[in-house]
Amino acid sequence: MDIERPVPGQASRYDELLAPSTSKGDEASFNRASSSYTNHDARFRSSKRTYDRQYAQLYFSRLMLLKGVMRKRVEQLWPGVPVCSILEVQEGKEVAVIGTIYKNMKLKPSILDEYTKDRGLKAALGAANFCADDDSVVMEDDGARMVLSVAAPGTMAAAAAQQPGWAAGDGPLAVQELVTGLVMAVRGVHEPGGDFYVSAVAFAGLAPNPHPLPHPLPPLPASGTAADAAAALAEARPGDKYLALVSGLGLGGSRADMLATQLAADWLTGNLGSPAEQQLAAQVVRLVVAGGGIGTLEGLAGAAATAPGANPYNRAAQAVALQPVRDLDLLLAELAAGLPVDVMPGPEDPANVALPQQPMHRCLLPGAACHGSLVRATNPHEFEAEGVRLLGSSGQNVDDVAKYCGLRDRLDVMQRTLACRHLAPTAPDTLTCYPFTDADPFILDSTPHVYFVGNQPEFATRLVVLQPSCAGSGAAGSNSMAAGAGAGAGAGAGAGAGAAGGSSSGAGGGEGQVVVRLVAVPSFARSGTLVLLNLRTLACHPVRFDGSLGLGADGGAGV
Amino acid sequence: MADAQAKRYAGGGHYEGGPPAKRQATGPDPDDMDFIEDDPSGPPEPLEDVELGEAGRNWVRPPVADFDAASTAIVFQQLEVDYYLAEPRPGVDAVPAEVKQVPVLRLFGVNAAGNSVCALVHGFEPYFLIERRPHWGADHIQALGLALNSELAGKAKGVGGPAVTRIEPAERRSIWNFQPPGTSTAFLKIVVSVPNLVAPARGLLENGLSLSAVSDYVKCTTYESNVLFTLRFMVDCKVVGGNWVELPAGAYQLETARQMTHCQIEAHVRYDKLISHPADGEYSSVAPLRIMSIDIECCGRKGCFPEAKIDPVIQIASMVSVSGKMDGPVVKNIMTLGSCASIVGAEVMSFNDEAEMLLRWRDLLIESDPDIIIGYNILNFDLPYLYERADALKIGKKFQVWGRVRGSHTRMRDGQFSSKAYGTHEYKDITIEGRVQFDLLTAIQRDHKLSSYSLNSVSAHFLGEQKEDVHHSAIADLQAGNEETRRRLAVYCLKDAYLPQRLLDKLMYTYNYIEMARVTGVPLSYLLTRGQSIKVFSQLLRKAAAKGFVIPNIKVQGPAAGGDGVGYEGATVLDPKIGFYDRPVATLDFASLYPSIMMAHNLCYTTLLTKELLSIVPPEDREQSPSGDWFVRGSRQRGLLPEILEELLAARKRAKNDLKAEKDPFKRAVLDGRQLALKVSANSVYGFTGATVGKMPCLAISASTTSYGREMIMKTRQLVQEHYTRANGYETDCEVIYGDTDSVMVNFKVPDVARAMELGREAAAVVSKAFPPPVKLEFEKVYYPYLLMNKKRYAGLLWTRPETHDKMDSKGIETVRRDNCLLVRNVVTTCLERILIGKDVQGAVAYVKGVIADLLMNKIDLSLLVISKGLTQDADEYEGKIAHVELAKKMRKRDPATAPAVGDRVPYVIIKAAKGAKAWEKAEDPIYALEHSLPIDVQHYLEHHLSQPLLRIFEPVLKNPKELLCGDHTRCIAVSTPSTASGGIMRFAKVTMSCLACKAPLPSGCKDSLCGHCKPQEAEIYSRTLGTVSELEAQYGALWTACQRCQGSLHMDVLCTSRDCPIFYRRKKVQKDLNEAMGQLDRFEATSW
Repeated sequence: MDIERPVPGQASRYDELLAPSTSKGDEASFNRASSSYTNHDARFRSSKRTYDRQYAQLYFSRLMLLKGVMRKRVEQLWPGVPVCSILEVQEGKEVAVIGTIYKNMKLKPSILDEYTKDRGLKAALGAANFCADDDSVVMEDDGARMVLSVAAPGTMAAAAAQQPGWAAGDGPLAVQELVTGLVMAVRGVHEPGGDFYVSAVAFAGLAPNPHPLPHPLPPLPASGTAADAAAALAEARPGDKYLALVSGLGLGGSRADMLATQLAADWLTGNLGSPAEQQLAAQVVRLVVAGGGIGTLEGLAGAAATAPGANPYNRAAQAVALQPVRDLDLLLAELAAGLPVDVMPGPEDPANVALPQQPMHRCLLPGAACHGSLVRATNPHEFEAEGVRLLGSSGQNVDDVAKYCGLRDRLDVMQRTLACRHLAPTAPDTLTCYPFTDADPFILDSTPHVYFVGNQPEFATRLVVLQPSCAGSGAAGSNSMAAGAGAGAGAGAGAGAGAAGGSSSGAGGGEGQVVVRLVAVPSFARSGTLVLLNLRTLACHPVRFDGSLGLGADGGAGV
Repeated sequence: MADAQAKRYAGGGHYEGGPPAKRQATGPDPDDMDFIEDDPSGPPEPLEDVELGEAGRNWVRPPVADFDAASTAIVFQQLEVDYYLAEPRPGVDAVPAEVKQVPVLRLFGVNAAGNSVCALVHGFEPYFLIERRPHWGADHIQALGLALNSELAGKAKGVGGPAVTRIEPAERRSIWNFQPPGTSTAFLKIVVSVPNLVAPARGLLENGLSLSAVSDYVKCTTYESNVLFTLRFMVDCKVVGGNWVELPAGAYQLETARQMTHCQIEAHVRYDKLISHPADGEYSSVAPLRIMSIDIECCGRKGCFPEAKIDPVIQIASMVSVSGKMDGPVVKNIMTLGSCASIVGAEVMSFNDEAEMLLRWRDLLIESDPDIIIGYNILNFDLPYLYERADALKIGKKFQVWGRVRGSHTRMRDGQFSSKAYGTHEYKDITIEGRVQFDLLTAIQRDHKLSSYSLNSVSAHFLGEQKEDVHHSAIADLQAGNEETRRRLAVYCLKDAYLPQRLLDKLMYTYNYIEMARVTGVPLSYLLTRGQSIKVFSQLLRKAAAKGFVIPNIKVQGPAAGGDGVGYEGATVLDPKIGFYDRPVATLDFASLYPSIMMAHNLCYTTLLTKELLSIVPPEDREQSPSGDWFVRGSRQRGLLPEILEELLAARKRAKNDLKAEKDPFKRAVLDGRQLALKVSANSVYGFTGATVGKMPCLAISASTTSYGREMIMKTRQLVQEHYTRANGYETDCEVIYGDTDSVMVNFKVPDVARAMELGREAAAVVSKAFPPPVKLEFEKVYYPYLLMNKKRYAGLLWTRPETHDKMDSKGIETVRRDNCLLVRNVVTTCLERILIGKDVQGAVAYVKGVIADLLMNKIDLSLLVISKGLTQDADEYEGKIAHVELAKKMRKRDPATAPAVGDRVPYVIIKAAKGAKAWEKAEDPIYALEHSLPIDVQHYLEHHLSQPLLRIFEPVLKNPKELLCGDHTRCIAVSTPSTASGGIMRFAKVTMSCLACKAPLPSGCKDSLCGHCKPQEAEIYSRTLGTVSELEAQYGALWTACQRCQGSLHMDVLCTSRDCPIFYRRKKVQKDLNEAMGQLDRFEATSW
């Protein structure tokens, strides 16, 4: 490490960051703040797992559990339109139907592809996105299936949308924004001999918060992640408590940046930085590792496999593969000694892959697990800190939705899943999950105050504030809901939400208002970034650590 | 089921003087079918029309536009031709008053507007010919007529008038052997009143008949006496199968008052007024045909395959679509027994009474009036079942009226089809007048070599999708449920009716078969029910008629014709120089080898010189084939077969050129179908002459053809190797490394593909010059690299352009053979890909080692290890112990409901058994093996299945291929814990907990997962178990959701039991393995504190 001779001109910063305190005797001492904490992982935990059932039960439960909500929603949005099952749909009559979406995608990979000869094409397409222009959607309820088509202008279904008294719903049918497994309602007409022509679709909408926030939210600027971050700093007060979110440390992986990781750990535990920074670190009441502690093991496994004559079933090779887990244990032990840590399993972590992922076994983390401050959480993970309800995942659910729909912005995807009241609609179709029989733990009965998702490509955040819905009062109410829920109008949703938040600044914490802070936590191995969330204002900002010394580490600067 | 009956009919002695009894057992001769006696259709019963119910949505055809019979011609595409006996119709049948019966031909078809048409063609008379002896005068002929009439009087009862209406002289020549100038060309045409008198008259003449009036005795060969009446008509009127015919304006009488058929337009016409249009220009199109696809579901009893006498039909799905219309079926109907919830997009009709349902379906059939009835295995299952079921319900008379003739009863009999090319199989011959039956199963079995012909695997192969398969034992449960479960079944049934439709479209069968019928001139229905030779025969008849030749009715059998077993030498195969060639190997092919030989050397019946005639023909006008037979040269007399071939190949060339120019995909499909039909037809001419039990076997022709072929291959090798030498200024001495039938592989030893192609083209031109036209050696492709393993076993990357290879091509390798397990096929394919495409021999070796390691560690997907063999007869009838038969017996003892029945394929895996167990004892049902954790005998797979193909592939590329099969990768072996079901000592074992790592028994009562010794490695052992769980969980998700997608429902459980589906066993296995692995993982949880 070449920190003895820093780049000229940046010496002072290095001193400030890395030098031991120059003043002796009067060392400032900071006491770490603490917070209340309640774990709500119970519904994601399962003790005895058996795989005797198929997935139909899960879909069925999902539809049944959301049906009531959807029915109310339809009555509110489209008064007078009868709700019926697919089998009751009559030709030429306008109706609303509630059901599960199935999206036909020709590019969707299937395990059956292994058996077809032409494997090259699919592989070349990569795993980025499987949407194609000719994807189509069908809706299925407990009785039957029907093909959905967008009503062309001039057809009966589209004409219905023009009728007076028609309240705009969540928008027209946008095939590319849907994914398999969503439960929603469609309004339209079954044309003779054809498909069901949809004039509008509706989602369940945001569920209410479990309880009001303990503190009213300060007014926030219109939109933009950078502006949010700046405002977060502007609004910060000395007594604020922070929650640190990090994901994708990628230990042992090809991208892992051990120096940045260590810097972050040192800063969090108060071993690094100026007094001001140590002060900030002391305000961090909890660290949540949102999955991705272990990097992809390609390097090791690949090396073992390419060695000539190597047998992958060899015991020695398997022991090597465990090294990153030991590193993770060391790191977590160090962190847990300094502050409470919640560790969630992620895509590559030593846990089962099917969602909800179960906590990492304590035998894997023998060092860290000794600390009472370490919480081995599930993925998804739900908890309450300082009266704020937080829900997060390690990112698989959002990543998978992003692969199968046209929405590009991760915040849009997150907001959409909340608006559908379902965390992982693509499970089980393309995302592996446990075959639940009479429950669907991914259904959201309430909207958390903070919804964070780990292992995302970049840091992003958005505050969504939804005014109390003026149930049944006509166009105005549903318009604002549409904007707030953002369903069907992806791009405009962010701005609308921000505006709603701004105008409502005085009414924070009002009855019926729904507030949710969305945070996309970037992968640390890629970005060197962890996210601080202010538990009073729900504002958040990134903190970046850079392991490449030449450019200087601005760790802890809080910018 | 029908075996016993079928056998009784089989070989039922269609020959006079019958073949010996022993031969009967082996079945009738190929194409025996063509000798079936003429049977008129449509019994002359009084017309008794059926009362039809109300038509459903889109059932009926478009209405007929008004037209004036005097000024409008009726133009339609005929699809089916038959005849019946009717009272003479005044005005069109010019017969004496006493005649009560005349044959009337019926042409069924569709016009361009989509209306069904039936043309009743009158006045065409059946006849055959005999040679006229030189001394026969008019009195002789009269005496012959009298003698025939008196002998046939008994058979001609009811016809009225004489059996032989007239005998007239005709100028013809026999097609058999070269007829030197001056040979008599006098023939007599014997015209009989009704077609079924041809056969007895023929019999009389061939067996000998005394002409008492002139005290003479006749015993002679008859000519063209074995031509079916409808074919006779088609040949004489130049009507070919599926072409457009015209009833000119004013020349026909429209039948309006008492229509005989359900067709929308029915008209009478004299045969000489009928205009047949050759399939060119506007007449090359296809009318909007109505195609009905059906599928039925039956409710079997537990343990038995449904039987029509007992088990009800519970659902009938019918889809009617119009050819050329791409927007899906016009009728989508499902009829169900018992209520059924509605299905979006389909017409659901529910019935409480089965008879009522069947009759309603009859209405649907008649009202939708399909021209073609298709389905999957309808000829052997669906249609016979419906037919027999109606008899069981005692509504046969009312129900079995599926044809287009009003009140005419559909007939069914057992038939047997036998042909060299397609093998022998039994079928039910159902006569549905006016409608073509097209069974996709039969067609696909003929045209494609697949490892399985279940609808599931066929649609996976051609349409790229798996099909849900509900086992017939599960159908009863669904039927017994509620309207929702019956709906489930209905959706399944509809899908089964829709798939044949899609296969038909995808494989362009409508166009290909109509083209084939047009080219060869036979009716459409012959194409599936008869062999190849009737097609050649039809062409030969047409050609002969045009040239004034007649075809003798010869019964050549036994050694005289080469007989059974007495074959002739076939094609030659040059000894392969085995090895791996990393230089481009050029392949030179003779284009249409046998047809071009027959053309080049003028091989034909009419040019065959008998020994006696050798002296008549000057040496320059004759040629001796390498097999020793003499033929006259084309300059002296052109043969008929060469002319037929020339026309076929010229037509093919035209079609190919048109194909290149055509842009419209629909027309392209037609043209492509045509060129393919032409190719197949040209190739079958040679086979026709060589079919020793065929219609016209002539081994002199076929043996000469192959002998020329052999000679050409040898000569080509010699020419190429002599020409491409260093001495002649070429880079290297070339080498012919292999040759087979019509191709030679030349290694020019140049490194560059483009150069090899250049040389190949040049060589083709050089060699072609050495042979008489139209024989042409063509350069087609280069293999680079090329792996030559043995005779008819090779693989290589195929290049037709120098820039990039087209594909990997392999012959005779385990990639396709069906009796191998999938593992072998996959491994072989992947190895070849790695070696040839990746040029990575080490990679292939590593891959093979990986697979072998996986196999030994029991990580191979079970479905890859499943071997399946067909159960061709009842398990008890087999002699000797055969693995799959013994297994079938075992399975029947376990559960008769799901045990394989005759005709099913029996899938099995080889399991470990006691030492010294016979191979047949080791076969086990894969599901049973899974459920009871029976260990797979991986050594058996390694030694008996994998090693041979692998050694063959690696022999040319590796120094020591045996290293693949032993070494480090074979040293980790998973031994699965035997369960009590595997028998042996395990039955007495007591299960205790053991350490998950070292298997040391744990003290009883200890709930720990590991022993004290292994405890420090807990993380490692835990993560290993976890790795297994994760892998299995991911598979579980992928597999079960794949099945959900396939079955087309999210909210209903997957029922499918399709054993053909590649993931069926995997799905089951992963469930079991996952639960087991979870159990292990849970043991770790128990110890956590």
